[in-house]
Amino acid sequence: MESEYKMNKLLYKLEAYLKMSVSRREFMKILIGGLVYFLSENQFLKFAFAKNSDAMPRVKKSIDCAHDLVAVKGLNSGKNVEKAIELLGGIEKFVKKGDVVLVKPNMAWDRSPEQAANTDPQVVATIVELCYKAGAKRVNVFDIPCNDDRRVYENSGIQKAAEEKGAKVYFADHWNVLKAKFPYKSAMEDWPIVRDAVVCDTFINVPVLKHHGLTGLTLSMKNLMGVCSGTRGLIHIDIAKKLVDLTDFINPDLTVIDATRVLTKNGPSGGSLKDVINLDTVIASTDPTLADTYACKLMKKDPMSVPYLKEAFERKFGKSNLEKSDIKELTI
Amino acid sequence: MKKLIIARKFFQLLFLGLFIYVIWSTTYPLNSAISPKLLFRLDPLIMFFTSLSIRQWIEGVSFSIIIVAFTLIFGRYVCGWICPVGTINDIIGIVNKNKWVLSPGLNANIIKLKFYILFIVSFLAILGIQAAWLLDPIVIFARFVSLNLIPASTFVIDKAFAFAIKNFELYGEFYDFYRYLSKNLLGIKIYFFENSESSLSIFLAIAIFPLLIPRLWCRALCPLGALFGIFSRFSIFQRVVNKCTDCKKCLNTCRMQAIKEDISYKKNECVLCMDCVYVCPVEGTSFKFNNKKQHFNPAKSKGTISRREFLYILFVSLPSLGFVNKKNKIDITEYKNVIRPPGVNNEAKFINTCVRCGNCMKVCITSGLHPILLKSGIEALWTPQLVPEIGYCENNCTLCGEVCPTKAIPELKLEQKKKEKLGLAIIDESICYPHSQGKQCIVCEEHCPVSDKAIKLKDTTIKLKNVTMNNGEVIKLPYVDKDLCVGCGICQNKCPVRPIRAIRVKGKL
Repeated sequence: MESEYKMNKLLYKLEAYLKMSVSRREFMKILIGGLVYFLSENQFLKFAFAKNSDAMPRVKKSIDCAHDLVAVKGLNSGKNVEKAIELLGGIEKFVKKGDVVLVKPNMAWDRSPEQAANTDPQVVATIVELCYKAGAKRVNVFDIPCNDDRRVYENSGIQKAAEEKGAKVYFADHWNVLKAKFPYKSAMEDWPIVRDAVVCDTFINVPVLKHHGLTGLTLSMKNLMGVCSGTRGLIHIDIAKKLVDLTDFINPDLTVIDATRVLTKNGPSGGSLKDVINLDTVIASTDPTLADTYACKLMKKDPMSVPYLKEAFERKFGKSNLEKSDIKELTI
Repeated sequence: MKKLIIARKFFQLLFLGLFIYVIWSTTYPLNSAISPKLLFRLDPLIMFFTSLSIRQWIEGVSFSIIIVAFTLIFGRYVCGWICPVGTINDIIGIVNKNKWVLSPGLNANIIKLKFYILFIVSFLAILGIQAAWLLDPIVIFARFVSLNLIPASTFVIDKAFAFAIKNFELYGEFYDFYRYLSKNLLGIKIYFFENSESSLSIFLAIAIFPLLIPRLWCRALCPLGALFGIFSRFSIFQRVVNKCTDCKKCLNTCRMQAIKEDISYKKNECVLCMDCVYVCPVEGTSFKFNNKKQHFNPAKSKGTISRREFLYILFVSLPSLGFVNKKNKIDITEYKNVIRPPGVNNEAKFINTCVRCGNCMKVCITSGLHPILLKSGIEALWTPQLVPEIGYCENNCTLCGEVCPTKAIPELKLEQKKKEKLGLAIIDESICYPHSQGKQCIVCEEHCPVSDKAIKLKDTTIKLKNVTMNNGEVIKLPYVDKDLCVGCGICQNKCPVRPIRAIRVKGKL
């Protein structure tokens, strides 16, 4: 009897529910409520309007090297790199077994290697080879170029040279970024930075030494702009502070400056072979400021004339005194 | 077994796939087996009338003559077996179960329409105006694939992968697979072409027709079909009826309604779809090489246009002379906002030669070329223009000239192309950061691809009235060297000033 009573009650409720007349206003309420529920619970839309997650600065490995800076001069750029890293203490100091390594060359322009607007492919290929020898799990190579990436990757010769040695060369996706967060107040706060540049075990910065209209020279700090997404042109406003902050954020473990061929005029894109001189030098250091200062000396330029180096000196970011540092120069 | 129908469907799908593949592969390395030019060079309508209207022999005309020559043997085989729009019509027609069979009188009237269109096109071509691009099916479908289908599918693939990778943290092999896909297969970076919805609407209209009447487009409007129809009158591959029980099944099945009441057929309407061969209950119908006249009522199986009608069409198309007058009045100095692709120096000739196939827009490596609507007059509808804010003209690239089937964009050598001026960059000093606010910014100078930079820097002490904080500092002010600037638009593309860029390129035409 009891179960029948319950059943009847349920049926009665159901009937009442079905017979319930809904006014237009109520219908609209239900519709809007349903829509709001749909929008708030929809995973795809959640993703579409999601903000990028934050990233704290990369932690730099503390490495004791044999020298503060090594500069090797020789006709074969690949051998120069090998020798320079060997003199620093060997690649094993930087790359441990199973590491994910990012090699960030300067390949921003649709130019051939001879035009010296991009890093020498031989230098990149040698570094990739060394990393794999040290037992790296994976070596990534990418840059966000200024010209179209398909043309740049192919014409700079880096894609071919690095892929031959087993590196993963790919285009950076602008959706795969993290927002940079700083422990201090910075103009680069919240700037989107490619995820792979932050989430990696070892960051090797491989810039090319060349002329630049605003900063005089393009060096390792300027090269780090290549991992920034967003409207990169805005970095040029107040460039000194932003670049030092960015270097502080990325903290490259090793900086290898390629000064094999140097563009002396019409930089950073260049284009004319008349402006290119051969220095046949490779500079390696763990300290980006020191490496950049030495490169300025190599070009017979006052480091204080380069805005971001001046800023780095004032903030005492890295070593800046060449005389007090342990510098090893070698000619093969 | 309906062998012939299976063969037809196979070829239709094969050519549809091939067509989409060729357009899909019209991208940076340009290493596809079939040249993207070839698609359009096989199309007699656009090739012949473009050649006629610019009074110049185009390479592709000889290709298209081969296609027309085969028509003399096989009739409208292109419509039934090859044409992608015909295939789309057939595929959509599958949904339509209750086909609307028009009354013979109405049908006879609407099939004349396409001849009207063809005569207007040819009449304009004789006067020196190329209008074949408007209703040529190959071009309409190519535009649909280049400007709508491929960007839309790229959008879906990109977003789906990005969603999956970010949400489920698939940063390993799966991400590598996506990178491989986007690097080697997708080949286009934007999801939407400006003004492409207007060209999509024409394709959609064609795609909706067969939901009512099968192959209405091919029957009534297609000027290419009309061209083949004229030549197929002389074809020797004909439909032969040996036995007939007068059941009139073929008459109601025929997708072109080409079969008459007396079971003879209009040769210039038949697309050789082979339906009537298999629908016949006594198997009396077949297609054969046949020079003899047909068994049933041969005298009445003439073409569809009489001499009187021809004169009438000629008279009707006279108002289109209005185009000519307008053409002569065009003052080319008024086109200041349209930046044409490199090498285009004569606007009037460019509009006439361009067939609006969309190849240049698909291939453009930065996706900077977009169709225009009425910016340069109605006769320039859907011609390409460079939109520097979306994509600039890559200095070392000659792709658009390489894929243009009619050489409206001339095929230039790289050295020549680098000197070609597209326009001139002009700095808007009222919003430019260094000029108006005294902030260092040299983005335009740094990106300028000309070897001796066309944008130069001048050290200047700031003396601005409104800004006080930087006054007295020495900063670098950019200025444009008018002789060196090629107007590639990379400065406008990279300029950080928003929403309007501080350096803008003006077209030369």
